[in-house]
Amino acid sequence: MPRRLAPLQILGLACFVLLLAVPYALPLLGAKFWVNIVAEIMIWSLFAASVNLLFGYTGLLSFGQALYFGFGAYGVALGVDILGLSFWPAVLFGVFVAGACAAITGIFAARLTWHYFAIITVVFSLIFFFVAVGWKSVTGGDDGRPFTVPPVLKVGGVEFTLLDPTFQYYFIMTVVGACFYLMHVILKSPLGYTFIAVRENASRLGLIGYSPYLIRYISFVIAGIFAGVAGVLFALFARYVSAQYLFWTVSGEGVIWALIGGSGTLFGPVLGATFLIVVREELSIYWEHYLFAVGVIVILFVAFAPGGLMGLLTRALDWLAKKPAERTAPEIAKPAPRAKGPGGGP
Amino acid sequence: MSESILRTEGLTKAFGGLIAVNNVNFTHATGKLHAVIGPNGAGKTTFFNVVSGFFAATSGRVIFQGRDIVGLKPHQISQLGIARTLQVKSVFGGLTVHDNVWIAAQSRTKFLHPFRPATSYRETARRVDQVLDEVGMRDHARELAGNLSYGDVALLEIAIALATDPKLVLLDEPVSGMSPTETERTVAIIKDLARRVNVILIEHDMEVVFGAADVITVMTQGMILCEGSPAEIAKDPRVQEAYLGAPEDEDEAHA
Repeated sequence: MPRRLAPLQILGLACFVLLLAVPYALPLLGAKFWVNIVAEIMIWSLFAASVNLLFGYTGLLSFGQALYFGFGAYGVALGVDILGLSFWPAVLFGVFVAGACAAITGIFAARLTWHYFAIITVVFSLIFFFVAVGWKSVTGGDDGRPFTVPPVLKVGGVEFTLLDPTFQYYFIMTVVGACFYLMHVILKSPLGYTFIAVRENASRLGLIGYSPYLIRYISFVIAGIFAGVAGVLFALFARYVSAQYLFWTVSGEGVIWALIGGSGTLFGPVLGATFLIVVREELSIYWEHYLFAVGVIVILFVAFAPGGLMGLLTRALDWLAKKPAERTAPEIAKPAPRAKGPGGGP
Repeated sequence: MSESILRTEGLTKAFGGLIAVNNVNFTHATGKLHAVIGPNGAGKTTFFNVVSGFFAATSGRVIFQGRDIVGLKPHQISQLGIARTLQVKSVFGGLTVHDNVWIAAQSRTKFLHPFRPATSYRETARRVDQVLDEVGMRDHARELAGNLSYGDVALLEIAIALATDPKLVLLDEPVSGMSPTETERTVAIIKDLARRVNVILIEHDMEVVFGAADVITVMTQGMILCEGSPAEIAKDPRVQEAYLGAPEDEDEAHA
């Protein structure tokens, strides 16, 4: 018997199909330019999801995820350009250095919570930002360092490279999709349950025999690795790395995407990143100070819809599923329950 | 008598100049429901906090199953087999009742599998149902712990403690804030529990203490005043003095 899908799952499936169609559909609509924007949105969604893994699930607000994003990006770029690695070894190297950086900084960061945690993560990312800005010969500093992306693989005489936008799009979609699947699996595992438990009540978690520090640390390293994968993808996509991607404002954007999308839900960050990047692309053409609008949006969401876009969407679908007679006006301002259980909402 | 599961030797905890627990030599009466009573500020909860690793002792030893556990972290002490509930009830509010107990039950497996679905652990699920039955909360399994009544939160806390298969349970005012019916139910659960595991109970409800406990230890001002059966304690003039104040103290207050 096939399981009946919830409305949200149907919507998710539809989005997946649309994403699959993007490289062929958008050029037909005369919007070829948007293929790359969608690809970029997927990369930033993964980055926002790594912020969300820490904030929405483990309850740690990191303002330093850009550090691991930057390490991933520099790892792959310098792996190709300086170490002369081919594609896959360079990718693995990028993910590895991001994970290693998270494993070392996490030793200190995971001891802290709340504002102390936020501060230490900013400090770590600033330290490496200034190192990257200053060490121009290697990093290219603020100007950045372009590099040539090697081919992904060669089968017989056919070469697959990211220079082909369609192949690049599917490559990014596959990697991002695999990461989201992995995150889903982790969040549904005993380990994922403890992430949520440490957010809910760390001292209770200690009293039943888990080390809250260790749980936070594991979550921190995993989030760092996901941010690193996003960084690797971004460097490959842009064919360029810059110290700017280590700056704390990049981390801040990740936090905002996760918040607007709905923290504590797997796909909330995707909605948030999509919404705000589309706003940026559309609004910045006409209005130089479009960030002002972003600020207003953030304030409105935090004040009136703490569940984010995902919270609004779930509520709207619930409302539509009811019979018209039972409908009352959706209570937009009422906060959505944070998580329905380990694994959270959708 | 066999070696007691828990005893303390000269246990002292000072906060600056305030000595909350002062040179306490406590021996758990093995196999008995052991209550610790005393007026507010007597150091009962601080005593629990030191035993369970929330605070490091200033001096003295806590011997659990022959091993000094002072300096261990709460999670290490939990793994040795001491479970406790808190005076201010503390559960995972955003999780369901079932998941609260599930996490506690799963804590006895040493490895947190990152890829295996949590729902696939049959043994843990069976244990959760068993514990929820014991405290009569099976019907609440799918409710969010944060939505439970205060009495049910207290019961859930006991369920969480039980799910870790403890050798010793420290209950800190388990029936405070409960209705008479809930109290009766909880006392029955605690009495039943005390037949299988060692229980130390802090409680202000004298009816509960004198009705349930086998042994009572009275603490005042961080020290053990006396210890004995409920009948002995009820008769002890020092206990009445500790709770009600000595006549001469009253005179001084009026002077």
